[in-house]
Amino acid sequence: MSDDYQRPPAEVRFAAELERLRADDSGPVPPGWALSLTAARRFIVGDDALGVRRKFVGDTSLIDRALVTLATSRGLMLVGEPGTAKSLLSELIAAAVSGASTLTIQGGAATTEDQIKYSWNYALLVSEGPSTRSLVPAPLLTGMAEGKVVRFEEITRCPLEVQDALLSPLSDRVLAIPELSGAVARGRGGSSPHTGQSAVAGGRGGSSPRTGQSTDAMVFARDGFNVIATANTRDRGVNEMSAALKRRFNFETVFPIADFATELDLVEQEAARLLEHSGVRAAPRRDVLEVLVTAFRELRNAATEDGRSMDRLSAVMSTAEAVSVAHQVGVRGWFLRGEAGGAADIVECLAGTAAKDSPEDLARLRRYLEQQAPRRGGEQWKALHAARHLLPG
Amino acid sequence: MAVTFIGVRHHSPACARLVRDTVRRLRPAYVLVEGPADFGGRVDELLLGHEPPVAVYSYYRDAERVHSSWSPFCGYSPEWVALNEGRAAGAELRFIDLPAWHPAFAGRSNRYADAERRYTEVTERLCREFAVDNTDILWDHLFEIDTGGAAERLDAYFALLRGEAEAGEDDTARESYMAEWVRAAAADAGDRPVVVVTGGFHKPALEALTASRDGASGGTGWPGVPEPPEDATGGSFLVPYSFRRLDAFTGYQSGMPSPEYYRRVWEDGPESAAGALIETVVGRLRERKQVVSTADLIAARTLTEGLTRLRGHPAPARTDLLDGLVSALVNDDLDQRLPWTSRGPLAPGAHPAVVEMVAALSGNRVGRLHPDTPAPPLVDHAAAELERLRLDRDGPVALKLTTPRGLERSRALHRLRVLRIPGIERDSGPATGADPVLEERWVLDGSDHGGHRLSALIEAGAYGPTLEDAAAAVLDERMNGAGTDMERLADVLFDAALCGCAGQSDRIAESIAAGIAGASDIGALGAALAAVLGLWRHDRVLGTARSPLFGTVIAECVTRVLWLAEGVRGGPAPADLQRLRAVAATRDALLHAAGPLRLDRDAALGVALRVAAEPGAPPDLRGAAFGLGRALGDTSDPARAVRGAAGPQTFGDWLAGLFALARQEVLDPDASVLGVLDELVGALSDEDFLVALPALRQAFEFFPPRERESIAQGLLDRRGLQGSARALLRTPDAPLLTAEARALEARVDQALSSAGLLLDERSEPGGEGGRPLADNTEES
Repeated sequence: MSDDYQRPPAEVRFAAELERLRADDSGPVPPGWALSLTAARRFIVGDDALGVRRKFVGDTSLIDRALVTLATSRGLMLVGEPGTAKSLLSELIAAAVSGASTLTIQGGAATTEDQIKYSWNYALLVSEGPSTRSLVPAPLLTGMAEGKVVRFEEITRCPLEVQDALLSPLSDRVLAIPELSGAVARGRGGSSPHTGQSAVAGGRGGSSPRTGQSTDAMVFARDGFNVIATANTRDRGVNEMSAALKRRFNFETVFPIADFATELDLVEQEAARLLEHSGVRAAPRRDVLEVLVTAFRELRNAATEDGRSMDRLSAVMSTAEAVSVAHQVGVRGWFLRGEAGGAADIVECLAGTAAKDSPEDLARLRRYLEQQAPRRGGEQWKALHAARHLLPG
Repeated sequence: MAVTFIGVRHHSPACARLVRDTVRRLRPAYVLVEGPADFGGRVDELLLGHEPPVAVYSYYRDAERVHSSWSPFCGYSPEWVALNEGRAAGAELRFIDLPAWHPAFAGRSNRYADAERRYTEVTERLCREFAVDNTDILWDHLFEIDTGGAAERLDAYFALLRGEAEAGEDDTARESYMAEWVRAAAADAGDRPVVVVTGGFHKPALEALTASRDGASGGTGWPGVPEPPEDATGGSFLVPYSFRRLDAFTGYQSGMPSPEYYRRVWEDGPESAAGALIETVVGRLRERKQVVSTADLIAARTLTEGLTRLRGHPAPARTDLLDGLVSALVNDDLDQRLPWTSRGPLAPGAHPAVVEMVAALSGNRVGRLHPDTPAPPLVDHAAAELERLRLDRDGPVALKLTTPRGLERSRALHRLRVLRIPGIERDSGPATGADPVLEERWVLDGSDHGGHRLSALIEAGAYGPTLEDAAAAVLDERMNGAGTDMERLADVLFDAALCGCAGQSDRIAESIAAGIAGASDIGALGAALAAVLGLWRHDRVLGTARSPLFGTVIAECVTRVLWLAEGVRGGPAPADLQRLRAVAATRDALLHAAGPLRLDRDAALGVALRVAAEPGAPPDLRGAAFGLGRALGDTSDPARAVRGAAGPQTFGDWLAGLFALARQEVLDPDASVLGVLDELVGALSDEDFLVALPALRQAFEFFPPRERESIAQGLLDRRGLQGSARALLRTPDAPLLTAEARALEARVDQALSSAGLLLDERSEPGGEGGRPLADNTEES
């Protein structure tokens, strides 16, 4: 069914792997989870014996901590620079833990509580009043009712008061729908509480603890519910998080790939895939990619590989950006000259990536090419230095 | 024969436990331990009853190389346990490895580093297989926590490592020597058992080498202890050691981290080690006013528990504990990877919780030697040196640095000073590399107040056997510690010059270079560069002329100043004199040291031209860069550049930069610079002149009086006037008075003209606006 989707969710893409892991799973499964912790971990870090591919290049201990956090009563907050695969990681974890990664809230300046908790079908609301039938659950409500992991992307891009909607779901594990308590008390609406129309009713099945109120007015989280939020360190200061909310999360910082060889391999592999897709028939040159990846790492870390400190670029120099530059380099080389693309193309593409619209970054980049590039040996570094005049301005 | 080989990882409590149990069970005739054979006769010294950590310090010096290294022991070191348990079981104890001075150990400062660290491919594969981040975690996972059947698993592990890795020549030499000892001991012991404790990496090879007793690989006689060459000095002695130093080895030198944690594991087992450490970490954090709530502690406990189970450990391992704590206690993003995942040292600015965790696991235990331990050789050597140089007396001493004997005496005293031996005070003497003072005055106080001097000497003895070696080692440590702090670095380098220790150190050149490469204060860099350049170029008194160490410092500083200079941005601001001096020092280095140090003058010229042309750079730096370019052979017209820098806000600062680097451009009668300046200053309006005045004054202060006079003369000549140029440099009245008078006149003029009593054009041709530059020099 997913053949013509551009990008099916992780649980569909890796359905076969998940199935094999489930069949092989002998570990204790936390309540509400689809897999045991060990199987979930193998899903992400890979397991050659079962033919499970490694999907996240990073510290294994990070995965361990993330999974154990989700099994406890705190939420998981993935923070890091843009392009460090936080969202991918959150998707993979959700797919492994709940078998579903689509309960996702995308944070933004315009995100409202409606999009997080629930909203109403206004036609029904007007005709019937508030009822479970007219209720439209948002991801948080669905996740709580069904006991699934809810993903909250870019949480710090939401206004503070919207973020705080998570407070009571995370600490008390309950979500109040005050409109519904009124509905029962006044005997209005006329709908049965168990119409099975909504996720709330379907998931809960009337088994809520007795509260003296209407059972619909309080949605208690089922086992397996938790929240994975991601936040971008570049957005810090746009909207801070309240201390109260911070306390309810365990923070995990996702770092750029630490190992040069691993990053180079990843860039080569991804760039080759993209280039093939673009109809380029020359594979990217390893020595050119080496220069590219080194330059990206150095500009990102604000220090050269031999420890000379530099100024940090304000542009994002992530692995993903490196792949996109490698792709551009290949396309330029092939369609303009019929070859794989070289250091001069890197300079031309870097101007667009690294120095998007900031003259300061452009100056930093120029200084890097002028003073650091000639210190390296190798033909491609020489070419990079020689091509420095291609930078605009 | 009954030889039992135990392959260990140094400083592993699990291995120590295995050694202890084996020795107790077998009660062997011989216990052979990987350790310096030349210390073998003095094993008793190790068993006097010290409080570990202690170390055998070995030093060596010949014409070509200087080498010093440590063999550290903690209470839980398998080697330490082997010696103590062996003695208790009545066994003969032997150290069987090559002495530390042997070429097989060249470049190694820690005998008990992990040997397999040099052969990483197989360990990387194992880490991937077990899905752990590094070998320390792998080791904990495999051996430290689950100790059942450790012997077999250790065997399999080390056999795998050794099977895959191609051992180097050094390892082979050591192994064949150790095998000789094993064969001899086995032959001598007859039926009684022999226990051999060596690094696990060597174990498979030793087993193979000794399997065929009568094989071609040698006989069964006791091997001799290799003697150092005739012309060399060397030796070994015991020194107190500390957990901090043990944990500070990095790279190939490093062994197991977190000594305090493993000490607790050895003494109390992993469960209580974990409990005690959580307590320590929380205590430390609360002491530093970091909030650690009960909820956090519950969370840390839960997470640790969860991680322990997820990773299949029967008790929490080191990283289960650390990971649990970090998840629970850190509520922010981190800006560097966790040190236990990346295996790197902590960089500055690490999260306080992480800092405290690492510190708690590392511990600050310091070893103590038994009072009966023989004193280190430095104690006697220092006394003998002082006697030889007639410095073993009290009272003032004056030294002439220009005589060989004076210099020798000065160096001895400076060495004692950097070793912080009490009773040695310098009253006067050269204070920087540029100080033309050739005499020193010292006050000596040889009386040993309450043994302070002796204990200071014993402590310093851990750095080396002679004053020169010990001082050099202390200076090395200080240079390493200086990091990116250029002021401190300059101080240490000057101390090294005074101690006569600036010649030999190649080892620290790299770390100094790294420090300079990270420095960000261009002014401090410049000051260090100027001082070191002076010592490198001229100092024949202290013997630092052409010192390669100083050469490295110069080359690195020049590279760094150029790098930083190109990054400076800023609008008009008062000239930064330190920054200008840095550029001037760079110019000097490029002019006088470029050849021997292979500095790249073309690259420097490129930087100079770019900075000079960069509109975003501060004016003083642009002026200085222009001057640097001229000094390096750029031929662009200074008069044009001066015009380009015009503008009352920036003009003076730009000139300050130029004059700091290239005064000659103005003095040169052929150049038109003076004329352009005269014209530009003359064209300034009153207001603008006042704005530009302070900066102009500062700029012209770079000229000494004589040159100022010749400028004044030039101005007179331009106007075809006769008169004393010198008189122009002095005004009879205070400048403030002159300024007030001018202001008053202007106000009167204004009042008159507003009353219609004065023709407006009067002020224009009359000459207030046409003020010559001489006014300025007059006032400066």
